[in-house]
Amino acid sequence: MSGESKPLIIAESLSREYTLGETRVVGVNRIDWSVAAGELVVVKGNSGSGKSTLLSLLAGLDRPTGGRLIVSGWDVSRLSDKHLTQYRRKTVGMVFQSFNLMPTLNVMENVCLPALLAGEPYDAVRERADGHLRRLGMERRFDHLPSQLSGGEMQRTAIARALINDPAIVLADEPTGNLDSRNGTVVMDLLADLHRTDGRTVIIATHSDMADAHATVEVELKDGGIV
Amino acid sequence: MTHIGFFFRLFGWFILRPMGSAKGRTLTVLLGVALGAAVFTSVRLAVHASLEAFHRNMDAVVGRAEQTVLVPGGRVPESLVARLLSHRQVKAASPISTTYVRVAGSDTEPFLLLGFDPLLDRPLRHWRTTDAETPVSAWLDLIRHPGTFIAGSLLAERNGWKTGETTTLLHAGEPMTFRMVGVMAGGGLSAAEGGMVALCDIATFQEFTGWRGAVDRIDLILAPGETAAAVQALKKDLPKEVQIRPASRTRESGRMMIRAYQLNLSILSFASLFVGTFLVYSLVALNAASRRKETAILRSLGASPRMVFALFLVEGTALGLMGWLLAIPVSGLLLPFLLEGVSETVSTLFVRVSVPGFSLSAWEVLLSFTVTVAVAGAAAVQPSAEAMKVPPREVLAVIGRRGVPDRQTKRLTLAGLLMIAGVWPLARLPGPTGLALPGYAATMLLFIGFAMISPAVLRRLGRSVSIPLRRLAGTPAYLAGRYVKDSGTRTAVSVGALITAVALFVSLVIMIHSFRETVKLWVEQTVSGDLFVASRLAEVNDFRDPMTRDQIALLHSLSDEAEIVASRRFSLLYDGRVPYTLQAMAMDPFLRHGDFVWMRGDARASRPALVQGRGVVISEVFANRTGLSVGDRFRQPLQGTAVKLPVLGIIRDYRTQGGVVFFAFSALQAQLGDVRWTGARLYLRDSSGWTAAELRNALLERGGGSMDMVLGKDLRGEILRIFDETFAVTTVLLFIALAVAALGIATTLTILVLERYRELNTLYAVGGSSLQLRTMILWEALLIVSVGEAAGLVCGFLLSHILIFVINRQSFGWTFLYRVDWSALALSVPLVIAVALAAALPAFRAVFRQPPAAMLRER
Ligand SMILES: Nc1ncnc2c1ncn2[C@@H]1O[C@H](COP(=O)(O)OP(=O)(O)OP(=O)(O)O)[C@@H](O)[C@H]1O
Ligand SMILES: [Mg+2]
Repeated sequence: MSGESKPLIIAESLSREYTLGETRVVGVNRIDWSVAAGELVVVKGNSGSGKSTLLSLLAGLDRPTGGRLIVSGWDVSRLSDKHLTQYRRKTVGMVFQSFNLMPTLNVMENVCLPALLAGEPYDAVRERADGHLRRLGMERRFDHLPSQLSGGEMQRTAIARALINDPAIVLADEPTGNLDSRNGTVVMDLLADLHRTDGRTVIIATHSDMADAHATVEVELKDGGIV
Repeated sequence: MTHIGFFFRLFGWFILRPMGSAKGRTLTVLLGVALGAAVFTSVRLAVHASLEAFHRNMDAVVGRAEQTVLVPGGRVPESLVARLLSHRQVKAASPISTTYVRVAGSDTEPFLLLGFDPLLDRPLRHWRTTDAETPVSAWLDLIRHPGTFIAGSLLAERNGWKTGETTTLLHAGEPMTFRMVGVMAGGGLSAAEGGMVALCDIATFQEFTGWRGAVDRIDLILAPGETAAAVQALKKDLPKEVQIRPASRTRESGRMMIRAYQLNLSILSFASLFVGTFLVYSLVALNAASRRKETAILRSLGASPRMVFALFLVEGTALGLMGWLLAIPVSGLLLPFLLEGVSETVSTLFVRVSVPGFSLSAWEVLLSFTVTVAVAGAAAVQPSAEAMKVPPREVLAVIGRRGVPDRQTKRLTLAGLLMIAGVWPLARLPGPTGLALPGYAATMLLFIGFAMISPAVLRRLGRSVSIPLRRLAGTPAYLAGRYVKDSGTRTAVSVGALITAVALFVSLVIMIHSFRETVKLWVEQTVSGDLFVASRLAEVNDFRDPMTRDQIALLHSLSDEAEIVASRRFSLLYDGRVPYTLQAMAMDPFLRHGDFVWMRGDARASRPALVQGRGVVISEVFANRTGLSVGDRFRQPLQGTAVKLPVLGIIRDYRTQGGVVFFAFSALQAQLGDVRWTGARLYLRDSSGWTAAELRNALLERGGGSMDMVLGKDLRGEILRIFDETFAVTTVLLFIALAVAALGIATTLTILVLERYRELNTLYAVGGSSLQLRTMILWEALLIVSVGEAAGLVCGFLLSHILIFVINRQSFGWTFLYRVDWSALALSVPLVIAVALAAALPAFRAVFRQPPAAMLRER
């Protein structure tokens, strides 16, 4: 285990560049940054400033083109495919702007999915999913298909799914982008609660200022760098 | 017009540009369409070439003749010519005899020798020679100099003959030396048999063949007036055994047979095109689905639903058009092979044709173009209509809708079941003779019915296997089961393509095997015998020429060593319309050594009656063509008398020129007096100690070289070889259909992956490994392929019944014993599954075509 003072996330000169033919586009550029465990980080910045790029690196969906990223003791920039999968399963949970639920699975099955992929037996997982869903106010929706849910309910399902493997970090990319302000506030409160009650590290990338009140750390990106 | 211009600009932006960025997929689909279209086109062109050659030959030989005078099973006395010429109903009359002959001392193919009276024939047929000043001088040469002929250009060229040279020709009787007095040039008779023809004077012909005072037929041009009345009047003035028929009759029956064959091959080749259109459907459906958002945007910007519909429809049509263009070089590769295969099959099965090469028929090209483009366009209708329904407000929606409502699947299943139920009644409907239209319509219905019930089958399968699969094979297999359950009509289309291909495969394997097994049984029982002898060139000349008395005596001299079954054949028309062979055979020895393959009638009770000449047995083909059945009376005028005998049984027979009727040689003798044989088969006696080859050598030593002889073993082998060759074309078409289906599976699986890119990447994001994702795809493929294979097997077994008992009956008049080649089928199952899974490879590679992170950027 890492020592007390050691930050949960350490980025050293972290870069992700895209090459489009001849031209190079900067996603994030030489970021030096660290986040201690248990923080609620709000990442802000204009469109194209690199928020999604940073989150996809943290989520293990993408690999940096330069620098290092160490999360919870894993050197994400150097992990093998196999370990990267382990990392995505154990360490991070992801919430998307457009929910990304499996259209053919119902709420309960969607939530259980990451644990099933990790090889857990269904019955044990169900119990846990049940708890998460109840806590998020979804107890009457277990058998619904995503197409039968409202936007807020879909995002709450997605949050439950992000929690099922009990990750240390929850990442959310514009989680309220497709919601009205009332539902948006509910979702933000729920995410904040994960930080407050469970002591999880939560990182939210957003344009909106709904999250500002909950933030313990706020960073602003501009042209791929932290200002 | 700016409207049209705008449409095509939009088409370029919206359809062509994305097509260009998905080249692999587009090319696969184009290749599938091209293969289908190429097979269809080249099969049609190949059969067309045979048909064309047949027509050209017929036109040349028939000329301007209107009616033909002949004696069924015999020859017309030459004396009738004078009577006809002086008849007031007759404007012109010309005696004609033809026979196939061969050049002595070489084994080149036989050619047609046509004997006629050049002067009397002038009004009927037209021909000239290359070097004669006037046609008249060439005619005079033939008449003035006995033993001369004028050769067709191809014949002269093949043999390297020069005018004035002599050559010896062989026929059933004595060989004769001819002198060539000219070569025919352009048009008319020179086109007969593709130029493999020679003309001689009727007197020369009679001297050569020994048929003095008789000719095959007399062609007539009637005096102006009503034909029916003229024919009636003529009939009254002619002897009873002589018949008058329209000169085009032979041409019609030949044409019908080739047409039926053309239809069969067209349908089989259309199957490839049909499977290819599944590809068009999948691609257009994918494009429509993946561009749903763009469609909604277009609609919100003011595009009418009709314009959206037209955009996707034109996409399908464009795929058809490009596929057809791509088919041109592919056809170029296929055509030479098909031309040869088809003309050989037509020659062995129906009528002799010699195809000099292929001629591009504008009509066939237009047909293949229209069919390809129309079928591709039709395949795009449903996805286009779906795209048209995208409401403009969907620009605002976050997630796209998917999944087919239960109700739709239920309706589809019901309709599919109804269709399958309607297959058999439809197949039994009466249709035009020789064309298996009801059978093919039933086949179509069967395919569509199975494609329609496949979503329900997938649903059931997905529902029942996903839970056990999770226990057995883990989460990826479970997810695959769930996906297959809910994929509904999307997968149904590719499953339908697979069902079609597998069903075709299974049913044709069963049919060909049943056919071959039945033919083998027939060959072993009915074509039994150790040695077959006949007069020279008997086979090509339809056994018209009896053996000489010397030859018959020679055979009798060996009767201590072998038992002889004499036979005499006549090529006749029953009721003046059904061509068949009447064969008198020494029944007693034949039935002791061999047997017929009885279908109907009491074989045991009928044999003695057959031996005693108290009845006939008729082949299935003959029964189907004439409607005669057991107990009915068979009637055939023959050389002035008539054969009138009850039908004792119906037997299987697979000789190809129409049906056959057998009766006792003794009965024929009783009717006609002394009868010469046209052939015989010999069974070695156990006491002789000879082999069949020794028997043949003994005959050869004693001067039997003037006969055609073939060992029974070789004859039976040859029949089976011809059988196998006939099905070579079919087998090739079959494999092409399978290949196209594999392309279809590849496209569909890839499409299923591509259109779920978001879901797959979400799975990755929430902790799925790439191995798990690939395993899931593999399971999906496996489930889809197994449903396709299983349904295809069931469909194939049903189809094999239709093929054997309906389509073959309707097209050729015969059926076979139902025999399943289990080993070939057992081999085919893993083969098809392996092919289909190999087709999953591109889908595998497509899984991470878009990096997972990209999904964070897509709204
Ligand atoms: N796959 C890619 N290929 C090329 N360029 C990319 C790719 N992904 C991101 N970029 C570029 O990287 C930069 C950062 O993009 P990113 O999506 O991280 O911004 P963002 O802050 O999330 O913006 P938004 O608020 O609009 O979501 C942009 O300039 C973008 O064009
Ligand atoms: Mg973003």
